[in-house]
Amino acid sequence: MSLDRNQPEVADAGLGSSSVFQECLSGFGWAAPWIHKLKQDAWERFQRLPAPHRKDEQWRFASVQDLALDSFRLPVVAGDSSAGVPSFDAIRNASARMVFHDDALVEAPRLPDTLREQGVIYCPMDEALREYPELVREHLLTRLPGIGSQKYESLHAALFHNGTFLYVPANVEIAEPFITVHWSGLDDGTALFPHTLVVVGDNARATVLDLFQSVDPGTRHFVCGVSDVYAGAGSHVHYETVQNWNLNTVAFHLNSASAERDAALKSITVNLGSAHTRNEQHCRILGAGASVDTDSLTVAKGTQEIDQRTLQTHSAPNGHSDLLFKNALLDDARTIFSGLIRVDEVAQQTDAYQTNRNLLLSDTAEANSLPGLQIAANDVKCSHGATTGSIDDTNIFYFLSRGIPRRMAEELIVFGFFEEIVSRFDNDELSDFVRELVQNKFRN
Amino acid sequence: MSDPATNTPETEAPGLDFDRDIGNFHYDTKYEHDAGVGLRPETLDYIADVKGEDDWIRAFRHKALKIFESKPIPTHWASKDLEAIDYDKIRYYLSTGQRPTRSWDEVPDDVKKTFERLGIPEQERKFLAGVEAQFDSEASYSNMKEELAKQGVIFVGSTEGLMEHPEIFRKYFGKVIPAGDNKFSALNSAVFSGGSFIYVPPGVKVKQPLQAYFRINAENFGQFERTLIIADEGAEVTYMEGCTAPKFETTTLHSAVVELVALKGAKIQYITVQNWSANVFNLVTKRGMAMDDAEIKWIDCNIGSRLTMKYPGVVLRGKNSRGEVLSIALAHDGQHQDTGAKMVHAADNTTSTITSKSISIGKGRATYRGLVTMPKHLQNCKNNTECDALLINDNSCTDTYPAITVRGDGNSVQHEASVSKVSAEQIFYMMQRGLKEEQAMSLAVNGFVNDLIREFPMEYSVELKRLIELEMEGSVG
Amino acid sequence: MSALEIKNLSVRVAGNDVINDFSLTVPKGEVHALMGPNGAGKSSLAKALAGHEDYEITRGEALLDGRDIVGMEPDETARAGLFMAFQYPSEIPGVSIANFLRAALTARLPEGETLKAPAFYKELYRAMDELKIDRSFTSRPVNEGFSGGEKKRCEILQMSVLKPSFAVMDETDSGLDIDALRIVAEGVNAMRGPNIGFLVITHYQRLLNYIVPDKVHVMHEGRIVKTGGKSLALELEEKGYDWLKSELTPAEAG
Repeated sequence: MSLDRNQPEVADAGLGSSSVFQECLSGFGWAAPWIHKLKQDAWERFQRLPAPHRKDEQWRFASVQDLALDSFRLPVVAGDSSAGVPSFDAIRNASARMVFHDDALVEAPRLPDTLREQGVIYCPMDEALREYPELVREHLLTRLPGIGSQKYESLHAALFHNGTFLYVPANVEIAEPFITVHWSGLDDGTALFPHTLVVVGDNARATVLDLFQSVDPGTRHFVCGVSDVYAGAGSHVHYETVQNWNLNTVAFHLNSASAERDAALKSITVNLGSAHTRNEQHCRILGAGASVDTDSLTVAKGTQEIDQRTLQTHSAPNGHSDLLFKNALLDDARTIFSGLIRVDEVAQQTDAYQTNRNLLLSDTAEANSLPGLQIAANDVKCSHGATTGSIDDTNIFYFLSRGIPRRMAEELIVFGFFEEIVSRFDNDELSDFVRELVQNKFRN
Repeated sequence: MSDPATNTPETEAPGLDFDRDIGNFHYDTKYEHDAGVGLRPETLDYIADVKGEDDWIRAFRHKALKIFESKPIPTHWASKDLEAIDYDKIRYYLSTGQRPTRSWDEVPDDVKKTFERLGIPEQERKFLAGVEAQFDSEASYSNMKEELAKQGVIFVGSTEGLMEHPEIFRKYFGKVIPAGDNKFSALNSAVFSGGSFIYVPPGVKVKQPLQAYFRINAENFGQFERTLIIADEGAEVTYMEGCTAPKFETTTLHSAVVELVALKGAKIQYITVQNWSANVFNLVTKRGMAMDDAEIKWIDCNIGSRLTMKYPGVVLRGKNSRGEVLSIALAHDGQHQDTGAKMVHAADNTTSTITSKSISIGKGRATYRGLVTMPKHLQNCKNNTECDALLINDNSCTDTYPAITVRGDGNSVQHEASVSKVSAEQIFYMMQRGLKEEQAMSLAVNGFVNDLIREFPMEYSVELKRLIELEMEGSVG
Repeated sequence: MSALEIKNLSVRVAGNDVINDFSLTVPKGEVHALMGPNGAGKSSLAKALAGHEDYEITRGEALLDGRDIVGMEPDETARAGLFMAFQYPSEIPGVSIANFLRAALTARLPEGETLKAPAFYKELYRAMDELKIDRSFTSRPVNEGFSGGEKKRCEILQMSVLKPSFAVMDETDSGLDIDALRIVAEGVNAMRGPNIGFLVITHYQRLLNYIVPDKVHVMHEGRIVKTGGKSLALELEEKGYDWLKSELTPAEAG
C-alpha cells in the first residue's frame, strides 16, 4: 500500500480505515451472527455520518479540529498485557473488581459466591457476549445518549470488544461497589473503546465505579467509551466515573442512565484528565415516579477542553431529575456545559432542575454555558440556573486577614466549591481518592 | 368593497387601544408605485429609482441581495415554519407616491382614515413629542414638536435621513447591524424602505416619547422598515413603535432592522408593542451600541404575529455602559414567539440585565434564546438574566436556550429560568372570592407579568394589561 | 328562611366518603362553632360548601337563604353570599390586595357597571382602619411572603370588604399565636350582627374564648354527634375528644 503514493489514502488511514474494522471483526470469529450484523451496521453508519461541525447546535463552542482519527490504531495484545500496569488499591472495599489495560483484561473479577448464587453477573464484556448473549442482546447499545456524537457512538459500536458487564437480578441488594479500572497503556497511539453495561433488576440495589487512568503521562491515546446504566423498577443504582486520562488523550465518554418506575438512579462524574473530553450524559425518566440525580465535577487547566452535553428526558409523569455540574477553570482551559431538560406532553407533575456553576480562576479561561428547557407539559416545576464568576475578593481578604496565604485561600475555596459533590459519593474511600486527585491537580 | 371592515373597535376604550383585533380592517388604497411581485435585482433598482437614491445606497442594496441569496434559511436552529415564506410571492414596495406630510389634513383620505381608526392622531395630541406613521412602504405622516426641531433634533424617514443628512447617518448606517449579520438583515438591507432616522444632539433630553406606527395594509406585502437612532453625548430619547395589519389569508412578512447608537453618557429607551395579525412573519434584527457611560434599554412586548424571531441586543462597547432588555411574550394558539436578548460585553465595568417573561396559551409556543458573552481581558462585567415561563393549558409549550460565554477577571454571569403554571388552588381561592374562572386566570397572569409591565410608560401599561385580559378570554376549559 | 341550611349532605373525596348525611342550620345573626378531632370531616365540609372540584357532593342540599348552592361553581357560591376563610390561603404573586378586592367587588356588580375608584378606596380604608391595618398593606401581593398572622388578617380584611351573608371560618386559628388569634376574633366580632351568620370550624376551644358561639356542634366521622352551648366546648377541652368517642360507641351500636 505504501508504494502507491499517487492514491489519496486519507479516508482509509488509521482508525477510520476499513482494514481496522476488519481487524476488529476478525477477533469476533466466535460470536453470534447478530453481533456481526450489529457491528457491520454500526461501521456503515459511522462512515455515512458527517464529522461534527461547530455550526451544529450540538457542537456549539466545541473544538473539532483535534478529533482526527488517522494517527490512532487498535492496541496489539501480545503476551502478558499486565506488564507495567500499576496496582490500584485506593479503594479496598469492593464487591468485586476487574482491571483492563488497553481494553485487555489483566485482572479478572473474583465475584463472591454469595453473589454468584443469587444470579449476579460481573464479568468482562467479551465474556458476557460469549456466555450470556441473549441477556446482553436485550440491552446492548439500545439506549445511546444521542446528543450529537452519533458518529462516535457508531464507531464505538463497530470497534468495541471489551468492558464491564454487571447484571443484578431483581430484589438483590448489594452495598459494596463494583470497581472497574481502565488503564491506557505504554504504547503510543492506541485507541480504546471501553464499554460499560449495567442492568439492575426491579427493587435491586448496586453501585458501580469506572476509573479511567493512564500508565504513562506522555503517550497519546484516543478513547471512545460508552456506558449504559439501566435501573429497573424500584431499584437503587449509583454509577460513578473518574476520568483521569493523561493530558495527551482525546476522549469521548458517551453515557446513558435510564430509570424505570420509582427507581432512584444517581450518577457522579469526575473529569480531571485528557486534552479534550467530550462527555455526553442522557438521563431518561422512563417510568412514573422515577428519580435521576446527575452530578459532575471538573477541574480544567492548561489548554484542556471539557465539553459536556446533557439531556434530561422525562417521558413519564411524577418524575424527578436534578443535575448539578460544577467546573473550576485555570490557565487557558475551556469548558462547555450544554444541558437540556425535555419534558414530554405525558410527563405531568415533573420536577426537573439543572444547575451549572463555573468558577474562573484565571482571566484567560473560558466557560461556556448553554442551559436549556424544552417543556411540553404544563403541570411541572422546572428551572435551571447557570452562574459563572471568579472568587470574590472579599472572600480572599477574609482568609488573608486570618493569616492564610492567597494560594492556600484559593485552594480552600475551590475545595469548598467541590465538597458539595465529593460528599455525595456515599463511599469515604472514593471521596478521599477524588479529593486527593483534585488536590494534586491544583498543586502540580 | 370600499370599506370591508371586519370588526368594530370598542368605542368606550379611552386612549390607546391594543385590542387584538383592532388592526383587523382594511381600506382599499390606490398605490402610485408598486415594485410588483417577487425579488430580483430589478426590484431593488425600482425602489432606488422611485426614491432617487445615491449610487452608494443602490450598491449597498445589491450587495445585500447577494448575501441574502447566499445564506441558508436558519432552520438548523430555528422553526421549520420559516420554510413557509415564499419570497417570490411577496410585494416588496408599495407607496401612494406622496411625501410624508406634517399635517394630518394633507394625508390622503383613505390612509388618514386608517390611522384615525387606530387612534394615532389622538395619541399624538395626548402624550407624544413626535409621530411618524408608515403605511406599507413609506411614511404618510411625520411630525415633531417645534421646540425639538429648534434644539436640533432630527426625526425623519430613512430615505430622507440618508439623502439629506448623510454626514450624520451614513457613519452608523449598517454598522451596528451589517447586511450580512443574518439572512433577514440582508433581506432588509436589500429592500428597506421607511422607518425612522433620529438624531438627538449633545445634551438634549427629549422628555416625551417619539412614536412610530407601522401599518401593513396590502395583501402579500412585505414591510422592511429601517430605523437608526443616534443619541449624541449626554442626550436622552425614548422611542416607541406599534404595529398592526389586517388578517389576510396569505402570509405577510415584516422584516425590520433597527440600529441604536448611544454615544458617551447618552440614554436610549426603545419600546415595542408588537400586535401583528396572526398571518405575519415578524423577523426583526435589533441591536444597539452603547459607548462610555451610555445606557440602552429595550422594552419589547410581543403579542401578535404567526412567528416572531427577535432578539434585541446591546453591544457594550464603552466603559461603564449598561444594557437592558425587558421582554414580554404571549403565545396563543398557532403562534410561536421566539424571542430573547443578546448582550455582548466589549469593555470593562459593563453591566447588562435581561428579564424575560413568557406566557403560552393553548397550543402556543414561547421560546427564549439568549446570548451573553464576556471575552477575555475584560474586568468587572456583570450580567443578570432571569427568564420565567408560565404555561396555561395542558398542551402549551415553552423552551429556553441561553448561551453564555465568560472569560476575564472579576466577570460574573447569573442566569435563572423557571417554568410554572397557575395552580388549581390559586384559581379556587380567587373563585371563592367571587371571581369567574377566566377572571381569576387573567388576574394570575397579570400578576405574573406585573413587575415588568410597570416598566412600560403609563399609557402603554394600562392597555397592555387590558390586552392580556382579552388574550386570556376563552383560554380556560 | 334567612339561614345556611345544610340537609343530609354526603361528600366524597378521592373515592372516600368523608361526610355522611350531615345536617346543620345556622340562622343569620348567630355564630356556630363546629368542633371535632382531626379527620372528622370539618375542613371537607368547608371545601365542599365552597364548591371545590375535588369534593363531590353525592347527596343532600345546602341552602343559602333558601337557594341551593350544591353544584354551583365556586365563584357563583361566593357571589351568592358565602365567604370561606381558608386554613391555608393561596399566594398570588404580583396581584395586589387592592386590585384583587376591586376585581372581586366588580364581579358582584351587574354586567357593564364599574366600581369607581374613590368609592372603592373609601370602603377599603374603612375596613382597614377598623381592623387597624396599615395602609401600605394594600399594595402587597395577596398573601405572598406573608406571615401566618398576616395571611389571616388578610382573610378577615377580605371578609369585611366583601360583606358576605354567611362566613365559614376553616380552622382559621390553626398555627396562630395568641395575638393573631385576637385579630381573627376581633374581626369576626366586629362583623357580628343580624345580617351575617358564622360557622367557625376549629379543633381547639381556645378560639371560643374570644368568639363566644351561640351553639357548639361536635363532628365525628362525617356527621354531628353532639350539639350544645358554649359549655360543651369547655367540656371537650377538659375531657378531650376521646371522651366523646367512648361515649359514642354504645350509642352507635344501638
